[in-house]
Order: sequence, then C-alpha cells, then structure tokens
Amino acid sequence: MRIGSHEIKLERRESLRGWQAASISILAIIVALILFSLIFIFAGKNPFTAYREIFSYSFVNPFGLPLTINRFIFLLLCTCAFIVPYRAGLWNIGMTGQLYAGSLAAYAVLYALGIGESTVTHLTPWVIIPLMLLGAAVAGGFIGSIAGYFKGRFNVNEIVVTMMLNFITFWLVSFMIKEGGPFMNPGGRGESFELPPTLHAPLLWDVPFTLIIALGAAILLYYMFARTKLGYQIRAYGKNPAAASYAGISKLRIPVEVFVMGGALAGLAGYHYFAAVPGVYKIARNYGYFGDLAFYGIICGLISQGNPIAAIPVAFLFGGLSIGGRFVQGKLGMSFGIDYALLGVLMITLVAFQFFYRYKVVWVRVQEEKLDVGIPH
Amino acid sequence: MTSVPNQEIKRGDTVLEARGITKRFPGVVANDGVNFDIKAGEIHAILGENGAGKTTLMKILFGEYLPDEGEIFITGQPVNFRSCLDAIDMGIGMVHQHRKLIPAHSVIENILLGHPRAGGILNLKRAETEILEICDKYGFSIDLNTKVWQLSEGEKQVVEILKALYRGAEILIMDEPTSALAPTETEKLLESIKAMSRDDLAIVPFITHKLPIVLAISDRVTVLRRGKVVASMDTDQATETSLAIEMVGREVIFRIEKTAVDVGETILQVDNLSALSDKGLKALDEVSFTIKEGEIFGVAGIAGNGQQELVEVLAGLRNSAGGKVVLDGKDITHANSLERWELGIGYIPADRINVGSIADFSLVENTAMNYFFDPRYLQRGTLNYSKLRDLTTEMIAQYNVATPGPDTTAKSLSGGNLQKVILARVLSRKPRLVIAHLPTQGLDVGATEFVRNQLIEAQKEKAGVLLISEDLDEVLSLSDRVAPIYEGRFMDIIPGNQAKRENVGAMCAGIELEADV
Repeated sequence: MRIGSHEIKLERRESLRGWQAASISILAIIVALILFSLIFIFAGKNPFTAYREIFSYSFVNPFGLPLTINRFIFLLLCTCAFIVPYRAGLWNIGMTGQLYAGSLAAYAVLYALGIGESTVTHLTPWVIIPLMLLGAAVAGGFIGSIAGYFKGRFNVNEIVVTMMLNFITFWLVSFMIKEGGPFMNPGGRGESFELPPTLHAPLLWDVPFTLIIALGAAILLYYMFARTKLGYQIRAYGKNPAAASYAGISKLRIPVEVFVMGGALAGLAGYHYFAAVPGVYKIARNYGYFGDLAFYGIICGLISQGNPIAAIPVAFLFGGLSIGGRFVQGKLGMSFGIDYALLGVLMITLVAFQFFYRYKVVWVRVQEEKLDVGIPH
Repeated sequence: MTSVPNQEIKRGDTVLEARGITKRFPGVVANDGVNFDIKAGEIHAILGENGAGKTTLMKILFGEYLPDEGEIFITGQPVNFRSCLDAIDMGIGMVHQHRKLIPAHSVIENILLGHPRAGGILNLKRAETEILEICDKYGFSIDLNTKVWQLSEGEKQVVEILKALYRGAEILIMDEPTSALAPTETEKLLESIKAMSRDDLAIVPFITHKLPIVLAISDRVTVLRRGKVVASMDTDQATETSLAIEMVGREVIFRIEKTAVDVGETILQVDNLSALSDKGLKALDEVSFTIKEGEIFGVAGIAGNGQQELVEVLAGLRNSAGGKVVLDGKDITHANSLERWELGIGYIPADRINVGSIADFSLVENTAMNYFFDPRYLQRGTLNYSKLRDLTTEMIAQYNVATPGPDTTAKSLSGGNLQKVILARVLSRKPRLVIAHLPTQGLDVGATEFVRNQLIEAQKEKAGVLLISEDLDEVLSLSDRVAPIYEGRFMDIIPGNQAKRENVGAMCAGIELEADV
C-alpha cells in the first residue's frame, strides 16, 4: 500500500525476540478490549466503567484478587499440562479428564484411610496432604499415559484418545460423588464429602500453597526444555520425529513421558481446585464448569507459544478476566455469558495477532524514480 | 503443434532468446543479466552448481517467475509470461525433476490432463493413436493404460516428455534429466533426446554436475555461476575439466587420491540379513558381508533395490526379518539405534532435510543430535550447551561451513553446507563404522569433492565405511570392495581393482555375470 512518498509493506521476520512477542501480545490485548467495548456500548453501558469494574475487582479488590489467584493457579497448571506434550508436537486435549482423575485420586486417598466428612482424623496432615498430592499426580499421569502409550506404540491420534478419556472420567466423577457413590456427600447434594478442616491445604497470605507448585512447575519446565537432555529429546521429537528417531530418541518413550508429565500437572490442578481453594474443599456439583475452564490451558499454551514462563502472565490475565467478567455481569446487570464472551474475543485477537510473530509491518520511503539517465558513472 | 506464433520454423532459427534477465530475491541476485538463446534442432545445456541460479532461470523461462529486468523473445517476438499456461501456449514444455503427475491415474490420463482438447469430451482413441505416433517417432515405449504409480522413474519422465510434446511443445526444458535414472534408462533417454533434436525441437537440459552427459548430448553449453553467465560455448570446444573450472571457479581434482590403507580387524559382520519394506514385502534378501578397519565397502545400485532397508536395519531404525549383525564381536541384531550410536556406528542418512537434521533447530542443537547422550556433554541430565557450542564453532571452521555462526538455524543452510554439518557431527564422534547413504546426492562439484575426501579421511583413521550410492563413478572411485545390489541381493562382491563401470553397471541392472571379468 502506498501513501504519498511512503509505502507500507509486510515483511517476513527473520527472528522474534522475547520483548517483541510480549509487546505484540500486549497490543493484542488492548485491541481485544477496544473491540469488546462495543458489546458494552450496545448494551448501553459505559465501557470505561465496565473495564474499571472488571480490572479493579479481578486484580485489586480484596475479595476478587484471591479468586483470581486461585483461577490463575488452576489455569497455569492446566497450561503447563498442555505445554509439555505440545513441545513434543502432541496435543493434550485431555486436561479435563486428567484433572478429574487427579481430584478423584486425592479424595480416594482420604476414602482409603477411612476419612469422610465429620470424621476427626488423628493422622497428621503432613502425611496426608503429600499423599493426596501424590495420588492426584499419579492418577492424572496415568490417564495421560494411556494417550501417550497408544500414540507411541500404535500411532493412534492423541487428540481423539485424550478427548474420549474426558468423557469417561466425567461420568466416573459423577458416579463417585452422586447419590450412592462412594464419595457422596452425606447430605446428598450431588457433590463429594467435604475435606475435614485439618486437611485443608495450608495457606500463605490467604493463598493456597499450590501457588508455589504451579509457579515452580512453570520454572522447572522452562529449565527442562532449555537445558536438560530430556527437554532436548522432547523438543527434537516435536520438531522432527523422523530426525529424532535417527538420533536414537525413542518414539515410544517420548509420547509416554510427555503425557505422564502433562497428566500429572493437570492432576495437581484437580487437587488444587477441589482440595485447596478456600471455600470449596470438595468435588463440587458444578465440577464440569472447571473441566471446561481447563480448556483455557490450551489457549494460554498456544498464546505463550509453548513457553512456560510466558504462560505465567497469560494465565494470570485469563484467570482474572474470567472472574472480573462474571462479576461485571452481575454488577451491571448484563446478560449471561459476558465472561466467556470476553475470554473468547481476547483469545481470537491474541491468536490473530500471532500473524505479527511471523511478519512485520514496515514503513519505507519510496525510492525516487531513477533520474540519472544518460549520465555515465 | 498448435499455437506457436510463427509456424514456419526452420532448422537453425532462433526460437527462444532471453536478454539481460535479472531476478532479485531478498539478499541475493539469483539471475544477473543472463543472456541465453536456443535454436531449433539444438540441444543447449545449462550447467551450474546448486544455487547458481539455474532453477530461477528455468522458472522464468517457464513463466513461473516474472523477471525484474530483461526480456524474453519467442521466434523474435517479445513475450510476457504471466503464468506457466502462457509459456505452454507459446510452445514451451517442461519436464520436471520432481515429477508432476497424478500417480493414481493412467499414463494417457496424465498426458491429457490440462490439454485444451481434453476440456470437453475425450476422444481417447484419437489421442491414443496420436500419442503412439509420437512414441514411435522418438523411440519411447510405454503402455498408455498403466497407472503412473507403477512406473519407474525413467518411465515417468517419458510421460512428462510425452505430455509436453502432445501439448505442442517446440522447446523442451528438462530439469536434471538423468538424475534418478538407471544407466540403461539414461542411454535410452539420450537417444530419444537426439531424435527429438533432429526433428527441429529445441531442447534445454539443466544439469548440476553430470558433466559427461553434457558432453555427450549437447550442441552448446552455457555455464552459470552465482547468477551470471560465465561461459557459453559450443560443446566440442569444451572438456570436462574446462567446464568444471568454469562452474566452480577453480580447478577441481576429480580423481580422488586414494592412498592404500592397511586393512585391520573386522568391524562389521553381517550374516544372511533380511528385512521387509514398509509395504511388508521382502526388500532385503539374505545379505552377507564384512567390513574391516580402514576399508570402504561400496554398495552400488539403483534406488529401491533394498538400500534404504539395509541402511535402516544397520542403524537400528528397522527390525530385521532374519539374520545377524555383529559389530566388533558383539551381536547387535536387536540393539536399538541409540545403543548403536553409543557402540560407534555413525550414520549419514540420505535425506538430509527430513532425517539428518532438524530445520528449526540451531546448528548447536543439531550437533546435539549425536551428542545428547554423550557423558562428556552431560552433567546430571543437563546438557552442556556452551561446550556443544564450542564444538559446533570448531566444526564450522574445520569444515568451512558457510554460515553466520553456530546459532543460525539449519534451514538457512544450503544443501552442501547442511551436508557438511551432518558429516562433521557424525565423523567428529570418531565412529568405528560410518554408514554413508547417498552422501553426495544433489551436491555441487565442490561439496561433492569435500564429502568424498572426508570419507577417505575417516577410512585413514581406521574406520570402516559403508558407502551406499547410486552414482557408479562415486562407488567405483572410493570403494575397496564393491557390491552391486539388485532386488535386495548382492549380485557379487568385487574387489575394487576389478570393479568397472561395465560389470558393476550390468549387475546393478540385474544381469548375472561370470565371476571373472
């Protein structure tokens, strides 16, 4: 396109620096918010008021911020669960199922020890909580390993397997916690028995300790991909499976390993939401809602381009906006679904802006037409 | 022959002329003021290394690219191709190196595809007679009703030629016409090309490195180097050496200096090894051989006779279907590929881009492909990337790899440089056994020479080398013993001094010969 003596051109990027990717993402967020303000305007609300409400509730308000942080921990773990297979070129669509399995396993630990609601346990939480965490990770990892094994051994599409396992585990949770199920709440409310207060996850400044697990996981994964032999093998397999086999990297082990790791992280996300978030402490009746929320792990993972450190701010933003969107819907009396609509617009814009990861817009001065006709050099 | 503007072309008339063709791509001038012309009845070869600008010129002549500067004339009239269709309508036909045919369709369907007369109702009978006429004229024999996937490479090429001729081509551009052909097929093709030129067709073969072919068939030859025409002469004034010098810009020693290396202990022993192809057919049929220290064992043959399977079984990438492989006295028949790397097998795969390297990885990370398991570069599961980087820098310097540095991605390298990186990486491990599969395929003269000399270096350092190649001259000039492979079997194992083009070539084509030659 030409404007006056200047021209706007698209050029392929040779490389993309971290700060460039970050500024493109920030620009995308701003554009998404501008676009979404149309919805507020059509609903007759002032978008500035609406955004002020959203952001102040999500990120400042003493009631909203802890909710945001809890969502953030959950989303970050789900994002990491997506990222590990993603770096091996595999798609984990099964964080939902893995987190259900993780939460069931955490409660199974209690069930096995004979701890139910209103039971006073004499066992120390210093033993039981680690057991619950371990159970959640192992169960999530096991569910994940199914997809990994079928992929590695028979080259079965991992998307299909993880997706199917979501349905299986969804109904398994239902069976376990609804009336007649072994984990049912004695009150018969269609939810699991509650965690005895002594086994509530320890809080650090009102935030569950799972925050450390989530942040630690992101940092460790970053290190693993950047430095370790395992991370190298995963990346090589992800970029070119044939070349990885040539180099002696097992095409059976890598899919299993990434899905076990991913599944374990998603399992911990299950532990976090149903056994560590203050005010929940049970597998809630609407557990399906959190299963759906886990899919935002895919979005966060894609936006952060598989970089676990970059996933931290992305997951924080999505966690906050899912809380703030729901809040503003009630506060301004808007129709149902504002939170998901907001996340959706944000997601589409961020994905669309990834175009600029590969291309850049340049503003060049058009060369003057050659005037030196006939003048010998 | 329909739509060529000037119908009365006489032998010797200039049918195509390109003047001052310049084409720039970001960072490179692919064609720089190229002048070129061809007369009816002439074979005018274009010669140049990879990256000399052949492909660009070819695409410009065929209307795939627009030149930035310069003009093209067909029978004296300026033309402006906007697409290949324009070029085809002006009587230009293209025979692609990577065949553009539909495998599931029959030969005649492929020939008719895109033909203006095939737009409405097909008159197959008439088309068939016409095509068979062309076949008769130029000595092609092909069954028009066979499906293309059943054809050999040479037959597919015939289909492409027929397609162009039936479409009315007066000028035939051929991209690497003899690569991928068996020796007998090459001879047949050369005869057909001559027959076509006698019939006043203008033929432009583009050739990378097969100088004897150029000398054998062409009337004139134009040499491209770095986008410029550096020489253009009648072929009878050219020699293999003079062309090579023009191409590379310096003298290339074609004769490989092979010094006698004392043969030592047996490194590899293969007994009755069999393997199945991906389709489950027996591709390798009870092959037995040994390789000793300081020996190059050459396997000559046309692609698809079990070479790929042999290499993959030895590298641990394919299960054997019987037989035994022993490396340094250790049975490795069931070892996986990583164990084989650790035991000292160094494998240089034929497919550099999809198997031998990882395009998006930096050169350092590509080096790590053969070092990630090496305790010298590993501390408690962590790779020592700075040490790997030093190693890569050293290899770049030692092998003279043209690259800005070790952090560039593999995909930014040209074929020859990529092969150098792979070679450097594999050979730096000082493998006991080097498996080199098509190590110089598609490389230019300079890189080919370099790769061959590196294999000889490895031999001097007492490695055993298994060289698998389709280039007969390469196998013959490098190997201490030669095994012609045909349909999964070694026809014989011939000592290097008795292996000649004649006997090895015949055996590669499946002809049994008496042992004494």
